[in-house]
Amino acid sequence: MSQTVKVTFKLNDRPVEVLVEPRELLIHTLREKLAHTGPHIGCETSHCGACTVDMNGASLKSCTILTVQCEGADILTIEGIAKNGELHALQEGFMQEHGLQCGFCTPGMITRAYRLLQEIPDPTEEEIRYWMAGNLCRCTGYQNIVKSIQYAARKLRGEPVETSHPLMGEKAAQSEMAG
Amino acid sequence: MDTVADQTERLGKLEGMGCSRKRREDPRFIQGKGNYVDDIKMPGMLFGVMVRSPYAHARIKKIDTSKAKAHPGVYAVLTAEDLKPLKLHWMPTLAGDVQAVLADEKVSFQNQEVAFVVAEDRYVAADAAELVEVEYEPLPVVIDPFKALAPDAPVIRDDLQGKDTGSHGARKHHNHIFNWEVGDRDKTERVFADAEVTVKQDMLYPRVHPCPLETCGCVASFDKIRGDLTVYITSQAPHVVRTVVGLLSTIPESKIRIISPDIGGGFGNKVGVYPGYVAAIVASIVLGRPVKWIESRQENLTTTAFARDYHMTGELAADKDGRIKALRVKVIADHGAFDACADPTKYPAGLFHVCTGSYDIPNAFVSVDGVYTNKFPGGVAYRCSFRVTEAVYLVERMIDTLALKLGIDRAEIRKRNFIRKDQFPYATPLGLEYDSGDYAPALDKVLAAMDYQGLLAEQAKKRADPDSPTLMGIGICTFTEIVGAGPSKNCDILGIGMFDSCEIRVHPDGSAIARMGTITQGQGHQTTYAQIIATETGIPASMIHTEEGDTATAPYGLGTYGSRSTPVAGAAVANASRKIREKARQIAAHLLEVAPDDLEFDLDQFRVKGVPGKAKSMKEIAWAAYNNVPPGMEHGLEAVDYYDPPNFTFPFGAYMCVLDIDRHTGETQVRRFYALDDCGTRINPMIIEGQIHGGLTEGFAVAMGQQMPYDDEGNVMGSTLMDYFVPTSMETPKWETDFTVTPSPHHPIGAKGVAESPHVGSIPCFTSAVVDAFSHLGVTHMNMPHSSYRVWQQCQALGIAN
Amino acid sequence: MKVELEKSHALAVPADIAWRVLQNIESVASCMPGATITERVDDANYKGTVTVRVGPATVSFKGDIEVKDIDANKRELRLVGKGSDTSGQSGASMDLLAWVQEGDAAHCQLVGRSEVTVTGKVANFGGRMMGTVSDQILKQFFDNFSALVAASAAQQGGVAAAEETVVRPAHELNALSLFWAIVKDFFRKLFSPNKAG
Repeated sequence: MSQTVKVTFKLNDRPVEVLVEPRELLIHTLREKLAHTGPHIGCETSHCGACTVDMNGASLKSCTILTVQCEGADILTIEGIAKNGELHALQEGFMQEHGLQCGFCTPGMITRAYRLLQEIPDPTEEEIRYWMAGNLCRCTGYQNIVKSIQYAARKLRGEPVETSHPLMGEKAAQSEMAG
Repeated sequence: MDTVADQTERLGKLEGMGCSRKRREDPRFIQGKGNYVDDIKMPGMLFGVMVRSPYAHARIKKIDTSKAKAHPGVYAVLTAEDLKPLKLHWMPTLAGDVQAVLADEKVSFQNQEVAFVVAEDRYVAADAAELVEVEYEPLPVVIDPFKALAPDAPVIRDDLQGKDTGSHGARKHHNHIFNWEVGDRDKTERVFADAEVTVKQDMLYPRVHPCPLETCGCVASFDKIRGDLTVYITSQAPHVVRTVVGLLSTIPESKIRIISPDIGGGFGNKVGVYPGYVAAIVASIVLGRPVKWIESRQENLTTTAFARDYHMTGELAADKDGRIKALRVKVIADHGAFDACADPTKYPAGLFHVCTGSYDIPNAFVSVDGVYTNKFPGGVAYRCSFRVTEAVYLVERMIDTLALKLGIDRAEIRKRNFIRKDQFPYATPLGLEYDSGDYAPALDKVLAAMDYQGLLAEQAKKRADPDSPTLMGIGICTFTEIVGAGPSKNCDILGIGMFDSCEIRVHPDGSAIARMGTITQGQGHQTTYAQIIATETGIPASMIHTEEGDTATAPYGLGTYGSRSTPVAGAAVANASRKIREKARQIAAHLLEVAPDDLEFDLDQFRVKGVPGKAKSMKEIAWAAYNNVPPGMEHGLEAVDYYDPPNFTFPFGAYMCVLDIDRHTGETQVRRFYALDDCGTRINPMIIEGQIHGGLTEGFAVAMGQQMPYDDEGNVMGSTLMDYFVPTSMETPKWETDFTVTPSPHHPIGAKGVAESPHVGSIPCFTSAVVDAFSHLGVTHMNMPHSSYRVWQQCQALGIAN
Repeated sequence: MKVELEKSHALAVPADIAWRVLQNIESVASCMPGATITERVDDANYKGTVTVRVGPATVSFKGDIEVKDIDANKRELRLVGKGSDTSGQSGASMDLLAWVQEGDAAHCQLVGRSEVTVTGKVANFGGRMMGTVSDQILKQFFDNFSALVAASAAQQGGVAAAEETVVRPAHELNALSLFWAIVKDFFRKLFSPNKAG
């Protein structure tokens, strides 16, 4: 089992190279070898979705794939959702609409919702609930998660949204100054 | 200066109590920068894996660790034999029992801890765990607590043989743990004997598991040179863990530092001290290297802390008008193989004696027997205070049953029996004193919001239509919760009173740090505690940093569970803030050269009464505290408060649920769920609503699908998320929330606590609705979970499914 | 959890030949897919292993087999097997009663009644597959046993010689065919009219 394989892929737009055993799961590689502890482990049966990442334009539960299968892949995790120091609309939405409590499911939720909004920019509530059904949350009861995603969809479509979290204010102020 | 606009602006800047302040913990979580225990990595860290028993009851004939020890990358394999010289093979539980850290000659539940393998990483540890060879001799298994009390039942706890008293008094049988009785038995018997009407109902509150999304785990790191131990741990009660570890290891508490980092949900699962923690600590002490232990989901669901498993029989005596005269309850409580409940020492059945509910019941008697079975230990409060969910379920089921028997409307019978507003503080027949309540207006508000009469008319129409494909059920629940454990006169854990604490330091620039003995697991303490301090001291919440969970810095507290943070630590926060404010008044008086009594507190400043413009802001006062204090006063501006509550708090609520059942498939659709909660003073409405959504969803899970079933061999049949129900966004209903405000008279800010009410209140409401759907067909009770299959079975039994 | 099974299988040999084969524990074991006798302690006690392979997972049970009773008059045999998997995560025991029922001069019937109890991970994860898996294992056993008995009858040279000529069953459950059989069984049950719900 000590035989290792070199695997290269893109992680949040940066090329990475890791040595792994063939049996190593992607979630362990991300968390233990690449210091990306945003995706979490909540079960070992692919039910909870806490480990969700985006790979080659599709959501993926990173506990169900071996790292060796990711050769050449393009992987996005929660750490790569904010761009250029600016939060993604989904990250804002989760803060604004109280879409998280303990925060353990949140990285997976946001990464999954990111894929949803790539595919359906204007989802109905039913579509949101259907798309998010592979990600479990024990704290929120999903109602505010749905609102958070609706908030992000509105913002990404260019519609006005209310932002009242100070962090969002700072970012907005920064971008105003930059612009 | 004193314009309304100015006041509003200052109030806005303060972000004190009552506003929906956005959460300060969110930025790290939404960016994947939370710091949960499995995210912690230390130099030289090793990984531990438990070897567990496949048998629910077996004698261990032999453990051969040689192959595992020889496996490359393995550092240690611990068994009970290795722990014996250190006297660490058994540990105390929070309930006064003992539990095997690693199985000592026998195992008493499936997946019990047998050996602990420590290796360089989790893969190697898992490989080596499979090389540990254990020879078992299976013993007869007993999983039914009634069968466990049979004279010839297998002995589950060999270590207790011959002991006829336990930590809660006499034991009647080798599998008996305790009997706990409260109330006036004789008087209750007499009332029953003379009653116009009586009803009786057996019910099972099934074994469930809190199942937080993050499992339990720890990283233990013992520094051999300094002789100190640091443990990062998923604990809802880090200070209690420190005391337990100190007792076990004989390391002084001053050399032990317990840190609860970010916690991915607790819900009662993370209160206890588990064998994995102890094993990791011992391994770290032995090896002198940090050792991480993280549960798998299967380990979490099958070994660390179940909830409920109460077999209850309730009886009500009443007059023909439905006025309740007495309540009698008998409970057989299945505690599993070790009594590891997290109850206050004096209450082996927790606060079950709140089971007279919101009703003015003059007589009551309760008897609870705790029983050992070959199941995993626990009995924790899954999003409720100790055994309150069970108690509320019982009384709400009983009043529904009485209403059915007498043909009285379920809302009406509740109103006839409510404790009236003028009866508070109200002494219950089981020895509690309810602080405040106003039940009838709450129920009326819900009945109006839901158009109860309209729903009844619709239901009557459906019932009259033999072709209706659906059955309609209306559920009602008017619960009273008991939270905020608790007064040290009757609440302690391991002899430590259940107070809580807060320490605030105001810095020269007017910002502040506050530390509490509690620990947030998603409740948003960082946000809400700062709001209390802001209102009480006038320091803007944004200038207050709050910190919890590190025993090296935080004052001693009993932790966060049983909705005790707001009622207990929240009060300590308010009191410490007031101490700061009083010192600030003295300083302000000195600066303004007036008497302290001439000053009045105004949002964020002290001003001289009747002299507009003459004032000192808290910022100015904070600066002065470090350079210009009144003669004789110590410098600095800080305060500590240890709050011992004079009483519990009693939040309440009125819930209504409407659901439709497909009588051919048993599929149940929740049409509406309306939850009105009264948690006293509201600190942050946004967070309260979030807590209520979460509690309702967990209530939905328990009522509609959760159960930890066992087969006759003691195999756990709900050991993964394939088999254990956790609702997704698809099946979770949409919640409607509402509130009334009845402050607690004894709490400094009148707050009562909220997170658990929706769980406690919604579960009987769902059962009430499901049973109501069938009540016209003669059904008076159905046990949970109300899964489609079980509901369909009911339809089959009644011959109404095709 | 417990699974009880009773199965019978027609054999195209006289009862005596079948009974002779049945008494040879090592041969009987060799018909059990994935089973091997590793040690003969005495006439009544054996040690053996059973390996079940489904997909990437292999569960290897190691245990003791005890011949509880051999009744030549009834042509009846009772075996009790007990063991645990080598990784210590599952336990299993089996109580098997097998007998040969006389038919006509050239035919007989082999009947087996077994009670299998499993504990640990196999029960936790595979609980709902247990019935079907046991059923399939038994079917393969009967096929192998028929072949052995037929060869034994043809050779007249005793069981040992017969065994040489019979293609020995693979010492691992044939994963693919087992899987396929389970899937077929699952669908058959799904569409059978008397299936509840």
